[in-house]
Amino acid sequence: MSGTKTVALTIDGRTVTAVEGANVLRAAERAGIDIPHFCYHPAFAAEGNCRMCLVEIEGLPKLELACSTPVREGLVVRTATERVTQARRDVLEFLLADHPLDCPICDKAGECKLQDHYDRYGRFPGRFVEAKQKKDKLVRIGRGLVLDRERCILCTRCVRFLRNVTGTGELGVFERGARAEIGVFEGAPVDNSYAGNLVDICPVGAITAEDFRFRTRAWFLARNPSVCPHCSRGCAVIVESVSGYPLPGGKRRVYRITAGENPAVNGYWICDLGRAGRRDIDEGRAAGLLKKGVPVDGGPWQKALTEVTAAIKAVPVSDRPARIAVILNARLTCEELVRAKRLFVTGLGLGRVFFADRKPGAADSLLLTTERVPNARGVLDSGLEARPPLLEDLAGITALLVFGSGLAEHFPEEAIGRTLAAIPSKFLFAAHAGPFDRLFDLAFPVAVPPEKSGTYINVAGVRQSFGRALVAPAGAVPEGEILTGLAQGLGIDLGDPDVR
Amino acid sequence: MSEDAVRLIPADEGSWRLEAYLRRGGYEAARRAVTSMAPADIIAEVRRAGLRGRGGAGFPAGLKWSFVPQGVGGPKYLCVNADEGEPGTFKDRAILVRDPHRLLEGMVIAAFAVGIRTAVIYVRGEYERIAGRLRAAVAEAEGAGFLGRTIFGSEFGLDVVIHFGAGAYICGEETALLESIEGRRGAPRLKPPFPAVVGLFRSPTVINNVETLAHVPSIIGRGADWFMSLGLPKDCGTRLFSVSGAVRRPGLYELPTGIPLRTLIEDHAGGPPEGVSVKAVIPGGLSAPVLRADELETHLDFESMALACSMAGSAGVIVIGDRTPMLEVLGVMSRFYAHESCGQCTPCRIGTSWIHRTVTRIAAGQGRRGDLDLILSLADGIKGRTLCPMGDAAALPIRALVTKFRGELEQAAER
Repeated sequence: MSGTKTVALTIDGRTVTAVEGANVLRAAERAGIDIPHFCYHPAFAAEGNCRMCLVEIEGLPKLELACSTPVREGLVVRTATERVTQARRDVLEFLLADHPLDCPICDKAGECKLQDHYDRYGRFPGRFVEAKQKKDKLVRIGRGLVLDRERCILCTRCVRFLRNVTGTGELGVFERGARAEIGVFEGAPVDNSYAGNLVDICPVGAITAEDFRFRTRAWFLARNPSVCPHCSRGCAVIVESVSGYPLPGGKRRVYRITAGENPAVNGYWICDLGRAGRRDIDEGRAAGLLKKGVPVDGGPWQKALTEVTAAIKAVPVSDRPARIAVILNARLTCEELVRAKRLFVTGLGLGRVFFADRKPGAADSLLLTTERVPNARGVLDSGLEARPPLLEDLAGITALLVFGSGLAEHFPEEAIGRTLAAIPSKFLFAAHAGPFDRLFDLAFPVAVPPEKSGTYINVAGVRQSFGRALVAPAGAVPEGEILTGLAQGLGIDLGDPDVR
Repeated sequence: MSEDAVRLIPADEGSWRLEAYLRRGGYEAARRAVTSMAPADIIAEVRRAGLRGRGGAGFPAGLKWSFVPQGVGGPKYLCVNADEGEPGTFKDRAILVRDPHRLLEGMVIAAFAVGIRTAVIYVRGEYERIAGRLRAAVAEAEGAGFLGRTIFGSEFGLDVVIHFGAGAYICGEETALLESIEGRRGAPRLKPPFPAVVGLFRSPTVINNVETLAHVPSIIGRGADWFMSLGLPKDCGTRLFSVSGAVRRPGLYELPTGIPLRTLIEDHAGGPPEGVSVKAVIPGGLSAPVLRADELETHLDFESMALACSMAGSAGVIVIGDRTPMLEVLGVMSRFYAHESCGQCTPCRIGTSWIHRTVTRIAAGQGRRGDLDLILSLADGIKGRTLCPMGDAAALPIRALVTKFRGELEQAAER
């Protein structure tokens, strides 16, 4: 950024440069020096209540908060002295005094800041011999969230999130002293579509999600970044799956979707719709290749694809523009759209290329957009026309290729059935099982977006490339490979998919 | 003290009424300040007088006023701290009951000097019953043109709002007080920014104790030199000492700052009752580290008390007789801080509770070897590490009590 001033300061004897206005904690973090903390979160102003980030600042008699001390030229900070070490140990000892130490049954274990900091900065013998305070361990605070007050360290990140980000303020601190506790106001539970972020920002196991509780352990999870496909914002997400075994009979692979960090798009948050996207990955998936609704045994998908190319080849070249129709969708990546255009428009010269997608929904004032697809801008960018099909567009055609499950959103079941019945050859490429699968000659299972790599262009025109976050279940193929397979079968050169 | 001295607590009949206050020369200083003095000169005079805050911290009042940025737009506020929650302290109450107009006059002068047009008197909830006279005084002053839109016919006006707390000690801490006035949970704010710059409703704010402001009319009326002739050079004027505990005449004594503790206890408060001797004294409200009987020569001013590793604090002098077990004192003290910690920051929230639970266990005859060292170590974990001064206010007196009366406490613990 132009006009941003930097300053040089010394942290633990190292010269560190930082942007003016940054705090010592962030400056140290950027230099690879860990200053442990609980309450500080970069999305909020420093709160200073956990007291874990106390450091020595030359010239000041007391230990100071790294989270609230701004950097300045020549500042000398020490984070590894005996005083700092002792202060950290003392804070940890205080926090652990009444802590239930129920890590063996705590869902946060393995990714808990209290655990991590104790491991690295604590490791003292326990001196607390009093009876631990009993507090409520199962408080349902709304939106499928459970509050455990014994584990809570009162960092108030949750309270501040609801005040500063959603503006809904459902949680507050009640009572005082060691009796202080987080709670909702009577009859007014947490009720906003960003509530899932409370679990992400809780540094301990105080707020957990019903959807995740007791299902797996944090250390079994593989965490891979992706881009959320559930609206056109394109938020960074982390797909947290149990690696090692692919989907056996519909079992859960993805245990949760959490917020990724992307200052240009979503900051630190995602909405609950995106979080619920874990179901889109694991639930209702097309289980395998279907022929008229009957599972086809054996044979690679490439072999089945020859039936599709044969059906296309059967249509005389001059008839193809009018008698072959293709329905695409805006969950396809930019790379896939380029291939689709080269294959269907340039290669086959088709005129009937449509898009059928999930219907728009309501936007909110934070992140969620009206479009319930990730790549509407990518469609525009591809030069394909994003028009939805009319049923009469599908009348009198010989072959139909449908990508995705969007048709059902646009037409009544009965009308789709009637239309499909009149088409001699029809093929479906969908990730999820649907009511019309049996009407297609062949239904190919395909990958969902997190199982693909590619590029989406978000509502603001931000182009985001992402890698594959998890392996597609056996038999499910990314549409890009289907398109390449079709092109090969038809003898059409797609060129380099990355070059437009 | 000479006859000429201030009487913060007047004794005349109906002293709280406006007519009585006017008979005592009331509102003359405010009139002079508003009609004929420059605001900067008023601040300079109060600074020169060396008036130190009477709430406990002893911060120079005039200096505090001078921190408020001048020449910027937007409102500024004066908050009067009448939360008086420090155990052993009951001086502000007396001013509110006996001489509320003196406080109001001090407020008018302070507000005029700093350029403030709205003041809030934050009165502790427990004083709601006695606030009738304060309310009446505000109404009287408004009726007489000493408060309200135009004061003494000038352009200057001051509105006064009375706001009651709900019984939390922490709301006496100035930023928690601001939160409480704003309608939120009373919990201290992270500083900086300081209230003089970002205070009530994010506006520059002066927060002064009742007694501090009550001194202002005489400083302006009689001049800084007169004020400086009382007390010590660096710590001028008189203070209201609240004396309680093992003395014959507990009560409120207005005396020059810097008198020896022994003089206050023996000459003024009549010394301990028959058959009792002084074992210890808490000299400046519960949060002031305890002094032993052999430290009674210490003078009651901020510097002398600091040198004795205690503090002049709120001048609430609690005298502990030899029949009072120190374990009981420690129990009361630790219960108070555990009960009153706001719970916002870790060391104070857990530390005070842990200490209290340890003391309670000792008192129940379940003491363990090392308990006193544990208490000292927990106090060290609080001291200097908390978000607001309450951490030190809890840790230091507990530390001092355990250190100075370790022998007695050890004996009690073993019993």
